[in-house]
Amino acid sequence: MAEVSLEHISKIYPGNKKEDRTSKAIDDISFTVHDKEFMVIVGPSGCGKSTLLRMIAGLEEISEGTLAIDGKKINDLAPSNRDIAMVFQNYALYPHMTVYDNMAFGLRLKHFSKSQIKESVMQTAQLLEMEEVLDRKPKTLSGGQRQRVAIGRAIIRRPKVFLFDEPLSNLDAKLRSQMRIELQKLHRGINATMIYVTHDQTEAMTLGNRIAVLNKGKLMQLDTPLNLYNKPSNRFVAGFIGSPTMNFLKGHIKNHDGYYFVHESEQCKISLGPTVPPALKNYTGELLQIGIRPEHIILCEDESNDTIADCTLQVTAYENMGNEQLVYFSLANNTLIIRRRPRDSVDVGTEKEIRFVRDKIIYIDEKSGEVINNDL
Amino acid sequence: MKESFSLQKLLLYAVLLIAALTFIYPFIWMIGASLAPESEIGKMNLWPSQPGLGNFRSMIEKIPIGHSLINSLIVATLITALVMLTGSMVGYALAKMRFRGRQIIFYIIVFTMSLPFQITLIPNYITMVNLHLVDTFLALILPFAVSAFAILMFRQAFQGLPQALIDAARLDGCNELQIIFRILWPNIKPTLVTVAILTFIGSWNEVLWPLIVIRDEQLMTMPQLVTLFAVGGRADAQLGVKIAAAVLLALPVMIAFLFFQRHFIQSMASTGLKD
Repeated sequence: MAEVSLEHISKIYPGNKKEDRTSKAIDDISFTVHDKEFMVIVGPSGCGKSTLLRMIAGLEEISEGTLAIDGKKINDLAPSNRDIAMVFQNYALYPHMTVYDNMAFGLRLKHFSKSQIKESVMQTAQLLEMEEVLDRKPKTLSGGQRQRVAIGRAIIRRPKVFLFDEPLSNLDAKLRSQMRIELQKLHRGINATMIYVTHDQTEAMTLGNRIAVLNKGKLMQLDTPLNLYNKPSNRFVAGFIGSPTMNFLKGHIKNHDGYYFVHESEQCKISLGPTVPPALKNYTGELLQIGIRPEHIILCEDESNDTIADCTLQVTAYENMGNEQLVYFSLANNTLIIRRRPRDSVDVGTEKEIRFVRDKIIYIDEKSGEVINNDL
Repeated sequence: MKESFSLQKLLLYAVLLIAALTFIYPFIWMIGASLAPESEIGKMNLWPSQPGLGNFRSMIEKIPIGHSLINSLIVATLITALVMLTGSMVGYALAKMRFRGRQIIFYIIVFTMSLPFQITLIPNYITMVNLHLVDTFLALILPFAVSAFAILMFRQAFQGLPQALIDAARLDGCNELQIIFRILWPNIKPTLVTVAILTFIGSWNEVLWPLIVIRDEQLMTMPQLVTLFAVGGRADAQLGVKIAAAVLLALPVMIAFLFFQRHFIQSMASTGLKD
């Protein structure tokens, strides 16, 4: 199949000054999608992820940089000659054609014979279990069925690369999780290179072999789902991936009988332990941020042995999800969220001792937003 | 409460009926008069006592009405086809393509709609003379081959269609013309019908322009011929023959109306324009 490589790709909309970097919809993005990889591009709305996908499809001009499939530059190739298929958010089925014609249309334009077309359509319909709806028009189909037709229209051409532009966002939650599983199955089944754009981090985490996180047209991090979660390389990725979101606290590293992180409010003092990496020691006295996931803050009362609390805070809210509980604390002007396994309920307003799991804390440079202890 | 409602309804129907009669009466009278002998026309009877086709017969003898009917059909059909083609192509560019000056071009096109045809009459005529097109069908067709109204209608219709539809077609391998005619056209049928009907009627009823550029009777359109016939003295002051010509002139539009009644009403309602 195919390897898609992006080298220093930028998108500058006409009318914007070239020098002005903030006006770039896509700013100098480079990465390679390996053969048969499922790559997810994720980011908040307006980050340029759809623009990037449309540039790969050829629907949007590439202002700077090189786009190549299997080493061959395709910047100036027409969309239909790139051997790429795309599934759109609103399906983009041809309303006036039946399901059969929707799938057959691209093949007809490529002058396939009638029998070839019929065979391909039937095969695809079988794969996606929609033989019964072939004679129907898109408007008589449910959202899930339409999405299936859209996928069918894409795979029938056996393209080298599949592009998905938020294909599940118009479906309800239940159907969405069902389609996620089907997409994984499809990827295994046809073994193609897939690039998938979404703003939904659950989709990103569950579907992607690797995930590219975009913000404001820039690539923030490209890594496996687990690495993004456990080792974010900057403040943006740390905050974007994970739900509920990571807790961030501002404060200083101080050295009094060992190194401590002290929150601005001085309500919290976290020991950095006996071995402190030199990179962190360099930040002594400087303002920085720490980030910690909700499951890595622990209520001391939940632990059997006596543990030393890092701080004592008041519970401001409490949510019991059944399989887990979320406890909200207030620390100065911040809210701290703790995730714990189902236990006895927590009374709002009470004070609780909490502890931070030290080796799960990430330290973030306040100015650059980069994580300091990523490779420590 | 119920009684007052039905009374209201009754009143409404009465008013509508009177209005309808006001419109339909002259029309029926015209058909009646076209079938009446000359002596009966002045009597304002709605229907003649001895209807006959005498008026039509003498009209056909006097002017080549059948030939002009065919001319009119050719001209109106070609104009309609060209307007649909050019209108949708320009409308598509204005709606879905990004290029410098797009807005200005659009405003200029809209502006031309506010100019009455009479203003461009003389420049158009001079152009036709210089192109040696006077007394040809092209002179009747070319000035109407592009219509600002059609462009506006198509632009609005295309703007209402999702961009993804066009993107999908492009990925499927469509070129721009295939996108317009194979993907977009089938999805804007009401606009197609509206533009077609209004353009056809507009060009069918056109009298002034043919009077200026066509002198050869063999090339004359029906409204032109009938007008010349009615006011040019060739009817020998016979009212019945003139009326018969008028009936024949109205006939194609009436037939079209019977077939496309629903679309006619939709078109008028959707454009808010009356041609």
